[in-house]
Amino acid sequence: MQVPNSFKLALLKQMLLGFQLSAVSSNSMSFHERKNAIKLSADAAMVFARGSTRWTRGLVASLSKNRNNEDLLRGILGKKYERLSLPCCNSWKIPRSRKILKRCLGLCSRRKKATGTQHDVKSSSTLARRLVKKRIQVLKKLLPGGESMEGFSLLDQTLDYAVSLKAQVDVMRRLLKISKASNLNLHLKEEEEEEEEHAQRH
Amino acid sequence: MSSRRSRISEEEINELISKLQSLLPETRRRGPGRVSAAKLLQETCNYIRSLSKEVDDLSDRLSALMETMDNNSAEAEIVRSLLRS
Repeated sequence: MQVPNSFKLALLKQMLLGFQLSAVSSNSMSFHERKNAIKLSADAAMVFARGSTRWTRGLVASLSKNRNNEDLLRGILGKKYERLSLPCCNSWKIPRSRKILKRCLGLCSRRKKATGTQHDVKSSSTLARRLVKKRIQVLKKLLPGGESMEGFSLLDQTLDYAVSLKAQVDVMRRLLKISKASNLNLHLKEEEEEEEEHAQRH
Repeated sequence: MSSRRSRISEEEINELISKLQSLLPETRRRGPGRVSAAKLLQETCNYIRSLSKEVDDLSDRLSALMETMDNNSAEAEIVRSLLRS
């Protein structure tokens, strides 16, 4: 699963905007300040590119908790910032879908009559269910806004988030590569110019 | 009775699960066979964690790089022209 190129382009654009707004190339920032500005720009840009969905709202909410982030968030998200900060209508519970989901994941316990082996059957499927429950709890913590999601929505949003994260990584990798290359070019140019100057004087 | 309650079909769920499976690098290698729910969730969590770690790592490297760049560099020009378009 991949995002369209327009997504990556929008992400890159807003991320670079963020860099400019927080003046990352100035000398007055500490390493950590710069890194945090970069990370925040990348996340806000990802939210911008994706638009409104549950995890983007969750991410905006958690990023907004730090008051220092507000200016940069507004700068990158513009009007979207207000819209994404509005409380979303609570999605109605779909209890049936949770059951179907569990069945598809092979989790429903089979109702077996008491036999000699019933104890084993029961404990292995109970174990599986407990393990899955545990992992779902972990997933909920990893997904922005995940605590309020269940069943199908949780998995659906997870897929959406993972795909967007991958795109964010791709864009940052590419930017790093280009920046390194142009930085190297620039240094080589400077060296060349210095050598020429030196040669002209002698 | 809530008329807004839409029924999510088994088909949609299976489709979602198979999309997840094909996204995750670990389960993709195993081919079309179904993995267990526990495994799928574990791989999903691992994947998200590793991507987040990579973003953190890339931010480190970009930060180090930006330190050595100055505003008048050609790179800033590239950035500016990208933003203009």
